[in-house]
Formats: sequence, C-alpha cells, structure tokens
Amino acid sequence: MRVFSNNTMQILAKALDTASLRQSVLAHNIANVNTPGYKRSYVVFEESLQKALGKNKGIILAGDKPGHIRPPQTAAEVRPVVETDRNTSLRQDGNNVDIDAEMVQVAMNSINYNAAASQLNSRLGILRYVINDGRR
Amino acid sequence: MRLFNSLAISATGLTAERLRMDLISSNIANINTTRTAEGGPYRRKVAVFAEQLEQALGSRQGYRGKGVQVAAIVQDNSPDKLVYDPSHPDADPQGYVHLPNINIVTEMVDLITATRSYEANVTVLNAGKAMAMKALEIGRG
Repeated sequence: MRVFSNNTMQILAKALDTASLRQSVLAHNIANVNTPGYKRSYVVFEESLQKALGKNKGIILAGDKPGHIRPPQTAAEVRPVVETDRNTSLRQDGNNVDIDAEMVQVAMNSINYNAAASQLNSRLGILRYVINDGRR
Repeated sequence: MRLFNSLAISATGLTAERLRMDLISSNIANINTTRTAEGGPYRRKVAVFAEQLEQALGSRQGYRGKGVQVAAIVQDNSPDKLVYDPSHPDADPQGYVHLPNINIVTEMVDLITATRSYEANVTVLNAGKAMAMKALEIGRG
C-alpha cells in the first residue's frame, strides 16, 4: 500500500498549492485595483479536477503517439491554470477588478486553504495513530 | 515560496497607495503655493500606476504577476486657477494671481480611494499571513 502517495494526499497537496497560487493572483488583482487598463486574472482548477475525478471510471484511451487524441487527464495530472479576463471593463479606464468580488474570493480562498490543511492534518493524525499501534 | 510571494505582492500595493497618499498630502498642503523652485505656482502631481511582472521567464505554473508599481509621477498641466488680487506680490501685470490647479474635492476623493485600497491590501496581507501560519501546523496534529 502506498502510504503517502495515495490520491487523497496528492489532491490535498494540490488544493493547498492552488490556494496559495490563487492568493498570489488575488493579491495581484487587488494591488492593481487602481492601475488603468489592468485586467483581472483568475485560477481555474476545481472544474478540471472535478472532470478528471469523474472521468476515471470511463474507458481510457491509450494516447502513446503524438497524433492520438489525448486520454482524459487523471486527477494527479490536473494543474491550476491562471487565466485573464480580457472581455469586460468595470470602469472608464479599462480596469475590470471588482473589489467586492475579489475580497469575497480572498475570504473563500483562505477558508479553503484552512480546510485542506485541516484535512491533511487529520489524515496524518490517523497515520500516526496506526503507526503507534493504536496507542496515540 | 508561493505564500511569501503573495505577501510581497500585497506589500507593493501598500507602497504604491502610500506614495499616492503622499502626493495627495503634498497637493493639499500646497493648495495656495505660488512660488516653486521651477518658478510659477505649484502644479498638481499624480502617480501613474502600472502592473509589475516578474522578469524571469518560465516561472512556476506560468504566473508572472508581481504586484503594482508607480511607473511615474507626472504633473497635471491643466490651467492655473486665476484670482484677481493686484496687491499680491506674485500677481501678474494684469493683477491676477496664478494659484495651483488643485481642486480640493478631487483630492479628497482620491484620498478616500487611496485609503480604501490600502485597507484592502492590508486585508489580503493578513489573509496570506494566516495561511502561512496554518501551513506551519501541517503534520503537528
């Protein structure tokens, strides 16, 4: 049995990574709230992860040649992607940072981070419990 | 490390907004200044903000955001305010005094914007700090 490299651990580690990347992106957006022409960036991760987790049950194509259709990503391969929203403008100067939406995202992101860290902690706690033969 | 990166980004926001606030203070303090080193009345000064990006290519996960920077401090060249006061030592031959092109209402609105943006950056900084502290707890429980 793989103790540390199982799916849950990997996904939790990815969730922590994503939350810290997202924190940087949000900080960048909020720092640039008064920069004329600035367009906000955002992190795409959860949707791709959901898709990857759902797809594991289907038939997986062998994509071993460059011309092949790529097989669906597995959860371990999913990476957070930073994208930029270039289509909207909130103000006359072309800036599209919505400070309210960004601050809500900051709050949600830090809760997400804490949740993932707690999950990881309790998983490690269970492992420790087993290693200590149930003696804590 | 990613988390310290986000703290550094918030710090650039704080620096930029504070500089803007300094300029606004300077503008308001000099609202009646008619003599400057360059000659003529004081002119309104504005900070120009620009997005700051990481120079190094191929940064991890392709994100290059590094916060905000003040690209330049420019003078507002809109016309001076003219006040008729022939007894003033700096009055021109027609008796008009050239006062700085500062509108106190604009400055106060800018001041509030700068303060609020500063506060927003502080909030983000605190959130990032809390996340960094939480990371230290991993594996302790």
